[in-house]
Amino acid sequence: MIKKDLSIDFLGVHFENPFCLSSSPVGNCYDMCAKAYDEGWGGVVFKTIGPADFEIDEVSPRFDELTKEDTPFVGFKNMEQIAEHPLEENLADLRRLKTAYPNKVLIASIMGTNEQTWEELAGMVAAAGADMIEMNLSCPQMTSHAMGSDVGANPELCKKYCEAVKRGSKLPMMAKMTPNITDMVIPAKACMAGGADGIAAINTVKSIANVDLDRKIGLPIINGKSSISGFSGKAVKPLALRFIQQMRDAEGLENLPISGIGGIETWEDAAEFILLGSSTLQVTTAIMQYGYRIIEDLTNGLMHYMAEQGVDHLSELVGLANKNMIPAEKLDRDYKVLPYIDWDKCIGCGRCLISCFDGAHQAITWDEATRRPTVDPERCVGCHLCKLVCPVDAISAGEVVMKAGRVGTAASKEI
Amino acid sequence: MTIEKYQQETKGYTMTTVMAEAARCLLCHDAPCSAACPAHTDPAKFIRSVRFRNFKGAAETIRENNALGSICARVCPTEKYCELACTRTEIDCPIDIGGIQRFVTDFEQNANMDILKKGPANGLNVAIIGSGPAGLQAAATLLTLGYGVDIYEKNEKAGGYLTYGIPEYRLPSDIVDIEIQRILKLGANITYNVTVGQDITMAALKADHDAVIVAAGASVAKTLPLFAGNPYVQSAVDFLAEVKSNPTGVDLPANVLVIGGGDVAMDVDTTLKLLDVKNVTDVVYEEFAEFKASDKELAGTQKQGVTIVDGYVPTAVNGNTVTFKHRQLNSELTIEADKIILAVGQQADVTNLGIELENNELTHGGFHTDDPKVFVTGDLAQGDKTVVVAVQKGKKAAEEIHRVLGGQTND
Repeated sequence: MIKKDLSIDFLGVHFENPFCLSSSPVGNCYDMCAKAYDEGWGGVVFKTIGPADFEIDEVSPRFDELTKEDTPFVGFKNMEQIAEHPLEENLADLRRLKTAYPNKVLIASIMGTNEQTWEELAGMVAAAGADMIEMNLSCPQMTSHAMGSDVGANPELCKKYCEAVKRGSKLPMMAKMTPNITDMVIPAKACMAGGADGIAAINTVKSIANVDLDRKIGLPIINGKSSISGFSGKAVKPLALRFIQQMRDAEGLENLPISGIGGIETWEDAAEFILLGSSTLQVTTAIMQYGYRIIEDLTNGLMHYMAEQGVDHLSELVGLANKNMIPAEKLDRDYKVLPYIDWDKCIGCGRCLISCFDGAHQAITWDEATRRPTVDPERCVGCHLCKLVCPVDAISAGEVVMKAGRVGTAASKEI
Repeated sequence: MTIEKYQQETKGYTMTTVMAEAARCLLCHDAPCSAACPAHTDPAKFIRSVRFRNFKGAAETIRENNALGSICARVCPTEKYCELACTRTEIDCPIDIGGIQRFVTDFEQNANMDILKKGPANGLNVAIIGSGPAGLQAAATLLTLGYGVDIYEKNEKAGGYLTYGIPEYRLPSDIVDIEIQRILKLGANITYNVTVGQDITMAALKADHDAVIVAAGASVAKTLPLFAGNPYVQSAVDFLAEVKSNPTGVDLPANVLVIGGGDVAMDVDTTLKLLDVKNVTDVVYEEFAEFKASDKELAGTQKQGVTIVDGYVPTAVNGNTVTFKHRQLNSELTIEADKIILAVGQQADVTNLGIELENNELTHGGFHTDDPKVFVTGDLAQGDKTVVVAVQKGKKAAEEIHRVLGGQTND
């Protein structure tokens, strides 16, 4: 079995691998976190600890899922708030975890209600043995508007609370961002200005996943009503990657240390987050669906990827894709790539024909007798919708054609 | 294995598993499955409806095209029609179209949908002789077009071979009953226990109706001269009808010989095994490569442990002992059995109906007889003798009558 060094340093803390439980139902007590460590997770972000007097009272049921055909958990909606155990119990669990697993990374997620409680919580989790603090500025389903994503959308509060946490503890600290905002760069900069050492992104997206059509109530139904709450899982991965890229690309945030979160299920998802600038990674939804054991394929798959890339240290991969994301106005618009249809692979379903006509540029013709499509190179704009809908990968990138009057050669294009 | 266990093994899709199967469908532009369905049930359209979770719309597509949709879902040899044409086969294996159709028609039943509606009465009446699949479909089509329909059935129950032939394990009688009830609800009148040409004359039917459809089927067992008068012999249709009317009470010996290789023979074989007959041997004229029975039925029969011997013809019979010779090889086979069931085909009985048949069907294509008022459909019309083709012929015959009587056809 392949063995590669997956360790990475993040905010001055050494992780044996980049994979952490995110602050959520999956890291809610000692037994859960211990099992996750045992199965190979590099770190745990313990479920967010709040002030002693903020009482957590959860609803039942509290989850919902978005499905597609027979695929469950395309996306996941969660109404749970922060840790429901008493503060003392959570701190005791942190102490036990650090004692039992001194070489694993223990991150305490905290959420205060004002500067004082933020500062106090930071001191308490530091005293309990946490290696790092994550500020939860982003939970979208809190019952208090002085907490969660309402705070994360307010840069002044973000800065003020970061300063408070830094007063409370000298531990490295990352601030966890809400995606329920247009420009994440603003709160990220505010947090860094307030003393944050890095950023965790993203928390969940405010959502309504489904509506019961007979009862006319969103799901899940709690005594005849429902609420907007956070959406996670595979469906949010593209949003997370976009926010992470935008922060890494922002002036003043170059090389921003990021713990990437949002729909990571496979080593390929993980590699994408790393290439766009994440040093560590956090996972919840895939664990809720499949269990901690997914760590085996996350780590092993990532090792094989490192071997394929000829990389010995994970840090060499961090952010490699950032520079290749550029503004739309700077993209090369001088050429088009015609699709190439391999008639030996084609099975004649005609899906390319339908999508090209109804969703693109009416550039495919159909031979009814042979059931085979042909691309008209004049009409074709090279959008490659046909390639995406082909069920047998019979369509690939073919000839590169320069648009009329453009300078340059087709051969020079990196397609 | 009991019938209950068999049915459990073939239980249908759930809401989740049917979505998985529908998601495998490529949703082809020119859907060869739909082109291959004799009854034009339009699987491409109803599978697409399932894919987009429009189960009621899927049920409408099936029912409006095929009044026996629930029955066809269970008994249609789909591997010869829609599934044979399925493009997905080029990737792995065809979509289980019959299974999806069964799910949709079960959904329709559970949702108490009444899809077919009686058309506004046009004052015309049609008599139908026989209530098998072709007669039932013809009735449904005519009723939706506004005709009055009187069905004359010689047995005490409607359904013909659906009721008296196809075994319970393949087609539960409650499914057949539900389909017939739908057509009765649509306004069909059925007179039971009446044989036209015997209890009532063709002339009387013609006098009272604007057209008459003979959908009497090929319901009489053929036999082989070698077996004439043999007390050990029973015909397949008689055997299956006996089991249908008395599912558990038929007394059977331990050693039964079946002769024949069509779907009916496979039905007999499997039924015998499900009734715990120890030794079932089926000797078949055709060799496996030229087998008439559907692959599905053949495989099911073999799975039950029936010994199938292919390529032999019976040459001598002595009481319960039959000697066969191979058609190509110099090989002889003698089998002694406690009971012999002949599944060598059926023939039509059109006594006193004034219809000329050759080889049990019209000598020309289509549905017209020499009498402009009399039509045939089902097995008596040229073409395949499967249920799905009977449905097609029933629909087409009804549309032809509609055309002749001055209406407009659908296609």
